[in-house]
Amino acid sequence: MNCEVCQLKELKVEHFEIREVLRCILHTIVFHRALGLLRPKDVDLELFEITYVQCGDVELEKKIDEKIDHFVSWVEKHPNKKSQICLSFYEVKSKQPSWFANKTERLYWEQWYVNLNVIQHPKRHSSKSHHTKVVVDPRESANEERSSHRVMVEASLREVLFQIIKFVNEKKDHLPPISEGVIYFPYEITIPSSSDSAFGMDMIKRMLHSGHPTMLS
Amino acid sequence: MEMDREPGKLEQIVSQFRSKILHVILESRVPSLHHQQQESLSLSRVRKTDKWFNLVLGDRPPALENLNFSLRNLLDPMVIDIILVRHGPCSSSVDNLYAPSAAAAGPSTETVIERWVVQYDCPRVFATPSGAEAAVSYKKIYKKCILLLRSLYSQMRLLPAYRIFRQLSLLSQTYNFDLIYKVSSFSHPFSREEEDGMKEYNFTPVEAPPGCLCVSVTYRTTLSDFNLEPLVSLPPKIITDYVGSPTTDPMRSFPSSERGAHAISFPSRGLRSPSSIPFQRPHSWSSGFHRGIPPTKTQSLAGSPPAYRTSCKPYDISSPPADLFGNRIQNHRVSTLQQATAYDEYKLSPPFSPSASPSTPTYLTGANPLLTRHCSETAPVTIPLPLTGRSTRYLSPNSSDPSRHSLPPLSPRSSKHDASSQESPSGIRSYRKIEALRAGESPSGLSNLYSAPKVVRDSKDDSGRFSGLLSSSGSPRIGFSRSSSRLSFQDDMDDCEFSCPFDVDDVDVSDSSRTVKTQRAKKLQNLLHSQIW
Repeated sequence: MNCEVCQLKELKVEHFEIREVLRCILHTIVFHRALGLLRPKDVDLELFEITYVQCGDVELEKKIDEKIDHFVSWVEKHPNKKSQICLSFYEVKSKQPSWFANKTERLYWEQWYVNLNVIQHPKRHSSKSHHTKVVVDPRESANEERSSHRVMVEASLREVLFQIIKFVNEKKDHLPPISEGVIYFPYEITIPSSSDSAFGMDMIKRMLHSGHPTMLS
Repeated sequence: MEMDREPGKLEQIVSQFRSKILHVILESRVPSLHHQQQESLSLSRVRKTDKWFNLVLGDRPPALENLNFSLRNLLDPMVIDIILVRHGPCSSSVDNLYAPSAAAAGPSTETVIERWVVQYDCPRVFATPSGAEAAVSYKKIYKKCILLLRSLYSQMRLLPAYRIFRQLSLLSQTYNFDLIYKVSSFSHPFSREEEDGMKEYNFTPVEAPPGCLCVSVTYRTTLSDFNLEPLVSLPPKIITDYVGSPTTDPMRSFPSSERGAHAISFPSRGLRSPSSIPFQRPHSWSSGFHRGIPPTKTQSLAGSPPAYRTSCKPYDISSPPADLFGNRIQNHRVSTLQQATAYDEYKLSPPFSPSASPSTPTYLTGANPLLTRHCSETAPVTIPLPLTGRSTRYLSPNSSDPSRHSLPPLSPRSSKHDASSQESPSGIRSYRKIEALRAGESPSGLSNLYSAPKVVRDSKDDSGRFSGLLSSSGSPRIGFSRSSSRLSFQDDMDDCEFSCPFDVDDVDVSDSSRTVKTQRAKKLQNLLHSQIW
């Protein structure tokens, strides 16, 4: 089975925007891969004028929030760094138990990479133009910059959501059959750990399980 | 055996797929349908229709069932237009309180901001499916339909029209625009100008041999060039100083009473000439339809059943291609104006009263004769006794309650209970829920939803353009518009009695007569005294 990979467009976000952005993206992806009977739940973002859809599963919401908390902690320790969160869907396959391996293995059939560039809000200082006598109010320019940043992030987030919709529409054949009583496919969220090497090891492990080289685009 | 069963199943999937898509689109573009859905979603049970495509949306409004019935030919495309109606500038905000917004406002403009097209695209030549194609089970088709519906549901919330829908869903504000919809099996192509500001998105078709299910949307990329703004609404004012008020000096003379003026609470101003009131609010079930349809064409359709009905047969994938698809091939594209067989405005019976269908949209048949007759009358408002037949259903069931109409039409209660919107009491709850959701809270319970701004909203809706089928009956706005329309009935009903604190005439007469009698008595007394002395 092919493992389809989707690299989402990179988002430049500030620290306080991480939770909302990640919640929006992760829930949107899971909603499109939740093919069991569900009651969609519309959620309005507080920071942006975007409404996304959740499955309405409390357990799922809790798990995603937990992962986001871990990610935020990691970001605090590694500021101003680009990071990647991987949301993978897999099938559980049983295999011949051996001395080294488990009885079951995870066969990854889809991976989503959420690319974030967490930026610090640059410090503002009063800027006096040398060419004019007008003194720019630092607070005003800070507000303007914040507002334009907000607009930019909102537009980018909307693009990412459209990207998700486009991908789920185009790639349908690789999905496993829907199991009775299951709302969403088994998934796994991988965040950068304290050491980047560990994250890399996770990636290699996944590649081995999926049986195909990861198609990084 | 499997193959024999598959065509029936496929037909069922295609049919339910279309219904589901229609439901998804309208529930996120038509506030009243959305409110009804919110209410039905609050119940824990899952209905049979919810199970289709594993997407629980709540009760399907009766209007949708009617639409599905009239567009049940699965091979015909289903075109859903979301239309933005902008009202012209009005003279004053006070007018908005007491007069239908359409009456107070200038001419309104309509723009199609979204066009959804759902069709089953069939090949020109039917080819007997090979062994491999025959193996494509309906299960795969069903799964892909689920995926498409998920992405459609998300996309509805990302397109620009969703913002407008959310604004209109808020009851705390009234706007100078409305959203209506039109569902048909053909559509007028966009002009070059219209196309310039629009973008098209095609969902990946779902293969359903011998054809495929296609869903596409053409939408305006931005709505910022429309002057969409909230209307200024005056806060409610409780008038305590009225004739008959316990706090008012009974001997006080009111300037208006001397002139025999009329009740000020109710929109006597609303009764204007047909030219100024575009009481073009069509019948509630058809108010969603585009006025642009030429009357002659529509009326000719109304007179006879649509051709597709006579030739409609169960969709049978196993039938020989020429018999079933021969006359469909040239009609499977909606971009061209189709033969006028598939669109029938009048066959979509109202959700609450089939008998009401003869009350055709007045905009097509000319001015409302009742309004024509009573345009100049400014008699006090009277509340009629409950009417029988379809009129009752057309009017608010609360019309018989004079107490409800002793005050300006503040309360949506007076307008809400329409047979087509059985969920209206819960609609209030759902209104509140939406507001609570906006505030980030989880919806809970009932709360006081009756506030003055709703008066403005109600009056605005007398244009009757707020999303056709159910919203016209489900929302308080349409109820108010019904109240307004009822005025025309009321004026005609001379035998109705009405006691209203604002009805100055009766009280004026008694007061003035009492004053005259007192004066006469005094004069007599003076005369007597003078004679004696």
